[in-house]
Amino acid sequence: MPDYNLKETRTLEYKRPDVVKGYTDQTLYINLSDPQIAIKPVEGKTKKTFIGGKGYDLWLLWNAVQPSTRWNDPENALCIAAGPLGGTPIYPGSGKSIVATLSPTTGSAMDSNVGGYFGPYLKFSGFDALEIQGKSSKEIVVFIDGINQKVQVFETSGLPENAYELSAILTEHFAQGKPRNISVVSAGPGAKNTLIGCLNFTWYDPKRKRARYKQAGRGGVGTVFADKGLKAIVACWGNVTAATNAPADKDRLKTVAKKHSREVVELDPKQNEMAKIGTTHLVTIMNDHDLLPTHNFRYGQHAQAPNIGQKVYRLLFDPGFDGCWMGCTVACSHGIKDFVPLTGPYKGKKVFVDGPEYETIAGCGSNLGIFDPHTVAEMNFYCDAYGLDTISVGTGIAFVMECFEMGLINETHTGGLDLHFGNRMGALELVHQMANDEGFGKIVGQGVRIMKAVFAKDFGADPEIMQDIGMEAKGLEFSEYMTKESLAQQGGYGLALKGPQHDEAWLIFLDMVHNFMPTFEQKAEALHWFPMFRTWFGLCGLCKLPWNDVIPEDNKDTPEPAKVMKHVQWYADYFSAITGSESGPDDLIKMSEAVYNFQRIFNLRMGFGRREHDAIPYRAVGPVTEDEYESRSERYDKQLAETYKVDIDGKSTAEKLAALRKYREEQYEKLKDAVYKRRGWTPDGIPTVQTVKRLGIDFDEVVELLEASGVNS
Amino acid sequence: MIQVAGKQIAWQEGMTVSDLLETLNDRHPYAVVRVNEQYVTQPNFEHTLIPDDAEVFLIPMIAGG
Repeated sequence: MPDYNLKETRTLEYKRPDVVKGYTDQTLYINLSDPQIAIKPVEGKTKKTFIGGKGYDLWLLWNAVQPSTRWNDPENALCIAAGPLGGTPIYPGSGKSIVATLSPTTGSAMDSNVGGYFGPYLKFSGFDALEIQGKSSKEIVVFIDGINQKVQVFETSGLPENAYELSAILTEHFAQGKPRNISVVSAGPGAKNTLIGCLNFTWYDPKRKRARYKQAGRGGVGTVFADKGLKAIVACWGNVTAATNAPADKDRLKTVAKKHSREVVELDPKQNEMAKIGTTHLVTIMNDHDLLPTHNFRYGQHAQAPNIGQKVYRLLFDPGFDGCWMGCTVACSHGIKDFVPLTGPYKGKKVFVDGPEYETIAGCGSNLGIFDPHTVAEMNFYCDAYGLDTISVGTGIAFVMECFEMGLINETHTGGLDLHFGNRMGALELVHQMANDEGFGKIVGQGVRIMKAVFAKDFGADPEIMQDIGMEAKGLEFSEYMTKESLAQQGGYGLALKGPQHDEAWLIFLDMVHNFMPTFEQKAEALHWFPMFRTWFGLCGLCKLPWNDVIPEDNKDTPEPAKVMKHVQWYADYFSAITGSESGPDDLIKMSEAVYNFQRIFNLRMGFGRREHDAIPYRAVGPVTEDEYESRSERYDKQLAETYKVDIDGKSTAEKLAALRKYREEQYEKLKDAVYKRRGWTPDGIPTVQTVKRLGIDFDEVVELLEASGVNS
Repeated sequence: MIQVAGKQIAWQEGMTVSDLLETLNDRHPYAVVRVNEQYVTQPNFEHTLIPDDAEVFLIPMIAGG
């Protein structure tokens, strides 16, 4: 146990309000520069318009920053919120926290959702959201003690850097013998020394007697946290029951919760077995459908993919209940016990690995040409402990490896590291370098967008080819699905507000495998409805897995099976039961639409919310290299000849590659047109005045911004 | 016999996943089924044999991450 010190510098004692119908109607504000602690009321209009969770975060952030604010300015706010339904222990998937801040890699509003107990504990302690501004030169721990009704700010010294040990120590320090009452949010040295830092949110696992964690990974939220001088934020709360949210109609809540919970218990074992294997089943399924990114998204398949698939992790995962929120019957947060790393500070020591999930396996495995489950587990462990996002780490190193293989960079630039695809030790070394602010890892940790600029300027690498193969958009690294053969999913990534993350729309199977949406209008409709419904989970503090990863047996006979409307209706009932605001499925969409459009306008305010910013690298659209074309030549030749009526006889691969590119890029632009129209946006991708009025977000600042951007009523 | 979605179905030597889906006369476009603990995807339906006494689960939809 390290010799550490926590010196109290500021305390606010407060009277905890009762939670009423899922809300406390106040937020907690902390400024680390002073330091200052304050409580702010939530106005009725804010509640009605922004609902909670991500909506509250975005509103707080909007009011905290200016268009000129950069991620590391003191006024940038880091906001964390649950939502009105968050913290319900009887409804599966009801423990999510949503983090929002200005991102170091995109420069605009970033949101990232995460499991663990923090969001619900924050709310039950009396706060619908937490907003942190300012910066401290000292290392700070914030303690939100809902039981004793006080918020404390501590200056600290001697605490470990990494989140693995820090989470355990702070859990024990604040637990008073009840570790389940504690949730710790922390980053780590990787978050401090890169721009792709994640946040770890803990939940206490009583069976294994340890603090486990999940990650808010995307867009460098951990980097902002570390830059503010935050070491950790700790929440403390006691008993949680269905009554803790004080639902408007407890019986109605129990009825709908029981239905959904029982269905998960009954059907998950017959379907995806997430309670046993998490999301690892997706590895071979994606691989078989040519959708598993391998070698920096060049290809979608690899013969060795089963080595990192569910069969292997089924054996590696430690059996037992793995719910990242109390009572969740999906319980997919599996881990590996007694894992022994081969590298780094834990080399040769037994550790517990929280994960891996599909995204980490694809990002830190197949996309790097690594098909060794232990290397993936070790990457997973260190990324979490260091506070690094496994998706950005995976996609970033994949880009580096392809640049290395193409000769765009070499060992002189990498500090002697051989970074061919498949080099397990090279990939791990980069992770350690990122955390330690050393060597070539210092450059890799800046993310793909900055790497492209550095490689071109300092190493003389060709910027055009890097633009095609560097898998980022809006500054965020792609998450781990191949989109080349699904135009709808190209939109799912490219039109996503924060950058290419799959949490807005995952349409690959519907589009590519089932061909359910052949027209632009159908794709546009899907790219309206799915992002709106999925946004709603972020407003309310929910996980989306119980919605469409466990499917009712009669779903296939419904008019729109992809929407799983039986569950959507249950969610509407759930919302009505907690908040007392009677809502149907269409109301849920409308709630999201207001926040979604507001976030788009937030991007505009920060200089990023136009058509040009929805561009994606050509690797996401079609084959960049002749090798890629030839690997699927039958498909591409057919498309050129039959769909685009190109005479391909006698044409070289290079000529066909260019012809295909022209058509595919045109298709993506047409998709943008269709989606903007469906969403009520201008052809430049900006919400119209009519749209913001319809959604009730026509605040003076918004209308002025639209006018200044050339959008008039 | 094999068990499919809770029902007993007669097993035949050489029975593939495609054969089984035809037998079921279920028009839902399954992309994935599970044979015991093995996930079988649509590109492999035609050449994946179902062993006798297997339990087969029809996965209604794959919804991604």
